[in-house]
Amino acid sequence: MIEDSALPVIWFFIITGELALYALLDGANLGIGLLSMLPQPEDRRELMLHTLGPIWNANETWLLVAAGSLFGAFPAVYAIMLNALYVPGMAIVIGLILRAVSFEFYDYGEGKRLWGDAFGAGSLLTVLGQGALFGGLLSGIRVEGQQFAGGPFDWISPMTLLVMVGVFFSYVIVGYANLLRKTGYEIAGETFSRILGAGVIAALALAGASFLLPREEYSFLVRWTTPPTSTILMTIVAFIVAAFALLIWAVATRRHVGRIYPLCLAIFGMAFASVLLGVYPLMIPPSLSLFDAASPSNTLRFMLYGIGPLLPIVLTYNWYLAHVFRAESKVDARTRARGY
Amino acid sequence: MDVLTLSRVQFAVTAIFHIIFPMMSIGIGFYLFVMEALWLWTKREAFYHQLRFWLRIFILTFAVGVASGIPMAFQFGTNWARFATSTGSFFGNILGLETTVAFTLEASFLGILIFGWRRVSRGMHLVATGLVVFGASLSAFWIISANSWMQIPHGVHMDAAGRVVVDDYAAAIFNPDTGITYAHVMVSAIEATLFLIAGISAWAVMHHRTEQRTRAFFLQSMKYVLAMAIVVTNLQFALGDLSGQAIAKHQPEKIAAMELHWETNTDGKGVPLFLFAWPSFTESRNVVQFGIPNLVSLIVTHSRHGEVQGITSFPENDRPTVRESALAFVAFRTMAILAVVMFFQMVAGCYYWARGRLTPERIDAHPRFLRIWVWTIPIGFLAAEGGWIVREVGRQPWVVYKVMRTADAVSPNLNTATVAIILLAIVALYTALFWVFVRFVRKTVIEGPSFASPPSTQAGPVPT
Repeated sequence: MIEDSALPVIWFFIITGELALYALLDGANLGIGLLSMLPQPEDRRELMLHTLGPIWNANETWLLVAAGSLFGAFPAVYAIMLNALYVPGMAIVIGLILRAVSFEFYDYGEGKRLWGDAFGAGSLLTVLGQGALFGGLLSGIRVEGQQFAGGPFDWISPMTLLVMVGVFFSYVIVGYANLLRKTGYEIAGETFSRILGAGVIAALALAGASFLLPREEYSFLVRWTTPPTSTILMTIVAFIVAAFALLIWAVATRRHVGRIYPLCLAIFGMAFASVLLGVYPLMIPPSLSLFDAASPSNTLRFMLYGIGPLLPIVLTYNWYLAHVFRAESKVDARTRARGY
Repeated sequence: MDVLTLSRVQFAVTAIFHIIFPMMSIGIGFYLFVMEALWLWTKREAFYHQLRFWLRIFILTFAVGVASGIPMAFQFGTNWARFATSTGSFFGNILGLETTVAFTLEASFLGILIFGWRRVSRGMHLVATGLVVFGASLSAFWIISANSWMQIPHGVHMDAAGRVVVDDYAAAIFNPDTGITYAHVMVSAIEATLFLIAGISAWAVMHHRTEQRTRAFFLQSMKYVLAMAIVVTNLQFALGDLSGQAIAKHQPEKIAAMELHWETNTDGKGVPLFLFAWPSFTESRNVVQFGIPNLVSLIVTHSRHGEVQGITSFPENDRPTVRESALAFVAFRTMAILAVVMFFQMVAGCYYWARGRLTPERIDAHPRFLRIWVWTIPIGFLAAEGGWIVREVGRQPWVVYKVMRTADAVSPNLNTATVAIILLAIVALYTALFWVFVRFVRKTVIEGPSFASPPSTQAGPVPT
């Protein structure tokens, strides 16, 4: 039997896991969406979009699963976050709509250029919205009595802007990495210099953003400066730096191109872990912790026994699809049987 | 307009638009499953051609359905934060179940349904189709359960902080409204979609003047639809009646409002069902009214002079406004009248079929018959929207009946201009989506079905 007090913590980690899984599965798709906006011949863009493959919809469901879990397990977090970050939240919603629809209609052949542009625009809105949401959340939200107590544009700050830039270029790198891995994406000199440029900008922006974090308001700074957390965090940072150096080396020498993608994922995973370690147990800095925001224990228990066992099943669907379609992206995507 | 009104408009717009597409997904999905099962059973390729053609429309409905559904979940946080904070422990939990249990199932197996023809065996493909339909139906179940709980919030209490605590999950999920409403909504999805398929087919028969094989294909679709509609239209009357009983028992305000029935009939006279009524906005009465005597009493109490509570028997703060009542009045009549129209449409179709007129050679003698089917494409959906408006507007001023008021549910500290701009953006986007959807369906119908034989399922490299 699981203790009542452990339930919010378990759900916190399930939800962060779902979010991380979403970012890992859909990150490359968002990055490719951004890259599809570069000026290029339509057939090249088509090749690009087809690497998203038939299962991208299933990947995006993880965002909805995470949102649903958050709504049930931490209703106040779901409500306050979306209330305070109304504009970024709605930008993501509109971006996701554009993406989902234009991707399907793109394949139907008519007005390809327009749908391709809509897919790029949707990806851009989604990425900027996610950056603003993440930045706005980390820079703190005013909460009084379990309600949002600030203004609708509080989230606009230099730090949020830097996070948006960092998130944007991170997705660009992941997008490139996935293209290099999955297709014989033309390895032109400019591709590599662009990856390098994007990597440097993303690193600088995110590092700069971490210095602009509010200093007194919450635990972030303490965690980074006092052991034992500071030791762990510095170790993670050392690994991130090492992975980043390896990535730069792989890009600069154009060897082991296939390793760029896993390196990106590793860097992302470690960065995510370091942010969690900096803010835990806060869910909405500076004041709302996961314990304040959690649903009553019986809800958390019902969700754990009702939803928990299903998550591995959902992962099995994802695996089964990946297995059925494993040869998909290497064949010429344009001529694959499209079901009709 | 204030943030509350704008948020209500936004919810109504997104819900009214979104619901069309899951209804089509359930209905067309059901049709596809029947066709595929018949194909595997009888080995007749005609069923396979039906399956492949309507699958193309299904993909479009699914894509628009997923896309237009995204704001549904998020706006509980953005626009209805106080509702979300207070009820998340049940309502959010159920929406979470919907995405985890049902939507993931649907979205995953859709990949196989669309792309899996050469990759999995025929039996496995049928299983995938079945799982997509099952996922869509399960998804509808959780959504209806959450909405029914807003109508009859059993199994919970509010704690001191104003948050819902669930005492009995079974009572909350399977509240007295869930089962009947779920059946009513599922059947309405299938019924509306059958009329959509028949209407599109009628249009296609008129459009493809010379290709006899294509004409025969669409007339075949019409016949399959008619065969299913015989059961569905009749079943829906029974379910509608049961649904009315449940409302009368648990939300008497809603019955009074949707009938514009002001004074309780204590005098032993039956309550008429007004065909037309115009309420006074200042006095508690109708300015104009005429209708069928005793019918409301008969429907609600199953007795000609049964007593039905009137609007004035409820405190003014706890019942729908006159405007809301009038809207529910019109919406209910829209639904009921269209249900009757669909029944007669089905009877007429069966008559034509029985007389042997639904063949490529003979149908041209009956252009009006085809044209009427084209005009009735949207009526099943309009009926469903009417029912939904009765359900939601008739529950006002509560968002969760007798637990939380709509005015107390809206997000604090939002700015009217921002909310209005986002609402306009959503309306523009949805209008464009709808237009594009219609265009693509039209294009698909003009291209017509393919009569290629089923692909072999042998493993190996994918032929190009």
